Amino acid sequence: MKKYFYTDGTNNFGPFTFEELQQKNITRETKVWFQELGEWKPAGTVPELTDIFKLVPPPITKPNSNFNNMENLNNQKPPKTWLVESILVTLFCCLPFGIAGIVNASKVESRFYAGDIDGANRSSEEAKKWTTVSFWIGLAVGVIYLIVVIAGAASGF
Amino acid sequence: MLQVGFRKILKWCIAIIFLTILAIMYRTYNPTGNIYFPKCPFRELTGLKCPGCGSQRAVHYLLNFDIYNATKENAILVLSIPYILTGLVFDLLKRPSERILKWRKRLFGQKAIIVILTIIIAFWILRNITYCQQSVAAIRVSVVIQAFCPA
Repeated sequence: MKKYFYTDGTNNFGPFTFEELQQKNITRETKVWFQELGEWKPAGTVPELTDIFKLVPPPITKPNSNFNNMENLNNQKPPKTWLVESILVTLFCCLPFGIAGIVNASKVESRFYAGDIDGANRSSEEAKKWTTVSFWIGLAVGVIYLIVVIAGAASGF
Repeated sequence: MLQVGFRKILKWCIAIIFLTILAIMYRTYNPTGNIYFPKCPFRELTGLKCPGCGSQRAVHYLLNFDIYNATKENAILVLSIPYILTGLVFDLLKRPSERILKWRKRLFGQKAIIVILTIIIAFWILRNITYCQQSVAAIRVSVVIQAFCPA
């Protein structure tokens, strides 16, 4: 009967039979040894142990998230900042709303390039809100003003 | 899908018609002294100019190709036109190249936005100082103006 050993790096365990080894929750990376092998080898590389891993999915290789993201960010378009619209709003109707839009545009940029995509999207939504609100307020004020003036002129005649 | 496209086209058509009417109105009539054009509430309340004051007159002069008078009415509006057009083009590009993105970051990035905000606020303060120096008697003198240039 073949006897298997495995190690966690500091302690060796064994001897085990193949059936016993199957119960030990070893992974593909766990170093194993048996007499014919000669030296410690990762279990995943030993052909006769592949049966153990038949039902275990291979590990997910995580991308080195921070570095990769920063690399990609410079090639990506940030979410819409509404900067241009905010400047127009500042110049044409509602100064405070326009300034709020510009401040949010700045947040979109800083959050996006800091890697906070969700935060950037939230600020983009916020900036959009200010621009839309001020657009409609500006339009409404203009229309109401016009109605009042025309009514005033009409009653004057 | 088709309906969304239709609604979008309708929205653009309305916007274009609306803008054309506005452009014809602003080209034909000078907002100065014309009661049909809305006045700046900030200026009505405080007697001070806001950064947007003079925009309507500036647009009127611009539509008549009088850049000199437009700049006199609202310099920041005239100066910002090339910048705003560039920004709109950058916004419309679906998949900008790396070079355009680099320029986008330079011209419209966080530092640029802070500079713009500073320029607008500086313009706001400065135009009120020169304004009150030129015609102190002509305007309702507010506390702020008195603080900046007494008598």
